[in-house]
Amino acid sequence: MQLPFQSKQVQLRKNHRKIDFKDAASTAAFIVIFLGIWEVIFLLGIFPIVSLPSPLMVAQSLIDLISDGTLIYSTAVTLLRLFIGFSASIIIGVGVGLAMVKFRQFGKTMNSFAVGLQSFPSIAWVPFAILLIGLNDSGILFVVIMSSVFSIMISTYSGIRNIPPIYVRSAHNMGAKGISLFRHVMLPAATPSLIVGIRQGWSFAWHALVGAEMLITTLVGLGYILSVGREFSNMPQIIAAMIVIFTIGWIFDRLVFSKLDERVRDRWGLNQHTER
Amino acid sequence: MSGKEQRISPIILHIKNISKEYKGSDSITQPIFDGLDLKIKEGEFVTIIGKSGCGKSTLLNIVAGLDKSFSGEVIVEDKPVKSTSQDRIVIFQENALFPWLNVVQNIEFGLRQAGVRKERRRDLAMNYLNMVGLSDFGDANVHELSGGMKQRVSIARALSLDPKILLMDEPFAALDIHTRQSLCSELLRIHDETNKTILFVTHNIDEAVLLGDRVILLSHSVGKIKREFTVNIPRPRDLEDVAIRDIVSEVMDEIMESSYENKELSYATAISI
Repeated sequence: MQLPFQSKQVQLRKNHRKIDFKDAASTAAFIVIFLGIWEVIFLLGIFPIVSLPSPLMVAQSLIDLISDGTLIYSTAVTLLRLFIGFSASIIIGVGVGLAMVKFRQFGKTMNSFAVGLQSFPSIAWVPFAILLIGLNDSGILFVVIMSSVFSIMISTYSGIRNIPPIYVRSAHNMGAKGISLFRHVMLPAATPSLIVGIRQGWSFAWHALVGAEMLITTLVGLGYILSVGREFSNMPQIIAAMIVIFTIGWIFDRLVFSKLDERVRDRWGLNQHTER
Repeated sequence: MSGKEQRISPIILHIKNISKEYKGSDSITQPIFDGLDLKIKEGEFVTIIGKSGCGKSTLLNIVAGLDKSFSGEVIVEDKPVKSTSQDRIVIFQENALFPWLNVVQNIEFGLRQAGVRKERRRDLAMNYLNMVGLSDFGDANVHELSGGMKQRVSIARALSLDPKILLMDEPFAALDIHTRQSLCSELLRIHDETNKTILFVTHNIDEAVLLGDRVILLSHSVGKIKREFTVNIPRPRDLEDVAIRDIVSEVMDEIMESSYENKELSYATAISI
């Protein structure tokens, strides 16, 4: 009884490591092939050089942007905006989500609106934000929050409503009530759903942020680098900024959300059907 | 249970004149209990059987304080109880362990609710895990356990709270026959060691007769106790034993009789309630 259980654990961990290495190798190969195709298209001269620079020219532009400090400062500002906007989204989204659970009629009504607003294009908030708040950081934050808060709200609401009743009954039976029931049962039981919502909310927030930075010009930020690139027809700079934007999104998803998701799935045993 | 102990045991639980109706969506009300009355002595092992839908689980929920829409009283040690309390702990059929906690944390959960200090919790939890033979599995995640192991943890979690009454809601129904047998004998050993009062709901007649000091047959149509069987045979009991077989067939006859009266159960469904 004891042995198969333990050996299975060890085997699972080994498999994880092997897959990681294979993944890294295939990712590297993918990037090399992509750069190769790009270089070939550049050498064939299909597009004029202003429209499509070579990978090397983009690399040079990336180095320039880094060495004069623009890129690091812009990235820092963009990430700070993301952090503030997204944190506010989580606080508001979870808060309203909980209120929706508590007050059922409000929850029902709010849910139907939230579902609609969740798919509302984030860029469509920009003109409203500019006139309401102005061409400043707060305007950008407003767009970020409006774009991501509804995913988090919906996932909090549905996550808590879909908790298997047996957990709550069992906790009640052992004397859990009020805050303790919420903190130690409802919240952890809703975590898998919450992670999905937060992950999706993050992705919406990131989309909205870069878009808003391009349109609500505050003279700093990754989105601003893109719009400056467009104004000066500086394609290498545009592509360099795109690469940075892509990398940030990729790193967050891979290193933060995937790992978080994986940990919860491991503990809950939600991966069993794929791992066995 | 020896006769000596039975003589001196006071009544620990009195389910007094319970009535409850089931209200369907189309405003059809159906009585589940109609003045059901049951007294249980301290340390007694009582099994409750009846066909599905006769309210066995509902009765446990009422005793546990999880179901409050009924009339009548639940009296524990001469005091009427209105809500849930750690002196009446339910062990559910489906797995009610928390998947976000590991095995030992699951047991500690109840202890924290009971206000046990942090340093004490781990020791107590490990003690009870040891009692059910799972001391090596404290760090395991819940999904890594087999069905039988999960129920052992549930039992450990319940016992750690030192309840006066254990309420078991078909706890072994989802297990295979071998696991079921070993858990039954383990439960008897624990009952012997701790002398807990146990109210055990099952739809398996053999199980009910092998475990209980008394077997209570609930009847859906009457909403009351249909009949009570006293099993005055020392444990561990053997199904092959003639005295046991007699009681099992007596229970079976009673169920058959009521099903013929109702003309709603065939012989096959009657024996498999």
